[in-house]
Amino acid sequence: MSALIRLRLAAFLRTGRALAPLLTLLAVLGVIYGGGQAQAAEAYGFSAAVVFPVVAWQTQILFNVEPDIQRELSTVAVGGLAREITAGLLAALVPALTLIALALALPWPLGGITGPSVASGVVAGLWAHLLLVPPALLLGALASRAAVGNAARGLAVLVGCTVLAFVVGTKGSPVPWLAPPLLPTARATVDGLAAGPLTLQTAVAAAWAAVALAGYVTLRRRNA
Amino acid sequence: MLRGVDASVVAGEAVAVVGRNGVGKSTLLKLAAGLLRPQRGAVHDRPPRIGYVPERFPADQPFTARRYLLGMAAIHGLAPADARRAVGEWAARLHLERLLDHQLAELSKGSAQKVGLIQGLVHRPDLLILDEPWEGLDAATRAEVPAIVTETLDRGGRVLISDHLGGVASLPDVRTWELADGVLSSPALDAPDRIIEVAVAAADVDAALADLRAAGHRVLGVRTPS
Repeated sequence: MSALIRLRLAAFLRTGRALAPLLTLLAVLGVIYGGGQAQAAEAYGFSAAVVFPVVAWQTQILFNVEPDIQRELSTVAVGGLAREITAGLLAALVPALTLIALALALPWPLGGITGPSVASGVVAGLWAHLLLVPPALLLGALASRAAVGNAARGLAVLVGCTVLAFVVGTKGSPVPWLAPPLLPTARATVDGLAAGPLTLQTAVAAAWAAVALAGYVTLRRRNA
Repeated sequence: MLRGVDASVVAGEAVAVVGRNGVGKSTLLKLAAGLLRPQRGAVHDRPPRIGYVPERFPADQPFTARRYLLGMAAIHGLAPADARRAVGEWAARLHLERLLDHQLAELSKGSAQKVGLIQGLVHRPDLLILDEPWEGLDAATRAEVPAIVTETLDRGGRVLISDHLGGVASLPDVRTWELADGVLSSPALDAPDRIIEVAVAAADVDAALADLRAAGHRVLGVRTPS
């Protein structure tokens, strides 16, 4: 399976399409941190919400770079659909973690973060970014051609779900669990990680990821 | 849409699926490869190592032929040294050597098809599935297909080929399945032939099949009594 992960990462990096999400993230974070200094928790809270759609988009690109027939060849070679699906998600995890490392590191050279409680803010930021990785990966997977059949439908899924996440995630929303908890996570981070919101948002993100994974596997099996 | 397909390919046997375009030959092959799941029924005893060669190789990938083939060999489970040897041997045999370091996208259709063929052969599959192998290959490579089939059968493998051009006539010993209107049938036997049914101990099936074929008989099928 690691051979398939390597081949997919190589294909993703060689097409040059990996650059678009990377540059977008750098530009947006540059704007955020260029505007002045902020508390670590505050800065990282909003950074996590920005990183989410970029990771989802990047995952969709990584999946869509592989031609449909090549995906069939990979499936036969790796020994079945379950292994092919696992290899795809693990391959997408590598650039996702790279983007997150970048997002966490970027404010330091830009001087975007100021005291007093830097350490606790960094811990909260790490939590917020890592929490949103599984939902972001799975949204990207759900928006891939392999899941929804064509690129136009995939774009609709990606954009629709991201917009939905921002809309239903506003403060006082009656249905915050309908989408991955971008804004609730950002607010919990800014507020400094009380046990209640931390547990709640972790549970919501995990539940959303589990449902999205089930949906992705179901779509892939139905297409098979 | 295929209906009521009840068929098996035994070890050491080649089967050609014939029928006109769009009749479902590729669908049947993908069912055998495990790429499609039957809506009803099941595919049993699929061999572990499968080589699948698609009708059209997807050449729009950012690799050289060598990097791609080594990658696919590794996914098939070959160690790096074995992968290099297998890719080198097949490239030499199919006259692809001097194109190995070209980008896939730069290859001619025939050369890209050779890459598709090699990725399905490097790991010596137990089940080789060739979707219309006579379609995109050049004449020299087409002439290699019967030998490739024979070598797979000789090591106890199985081969499943689809064909609508009549290339299957060039194969030495092949059973034919005809596909029409979603229904699979074996064509009528020549009138002078007779069918004998023989019970063989399960452990001896492969040896018995080999003996029967060596004696020039056509094996029509193997079944387990219900």
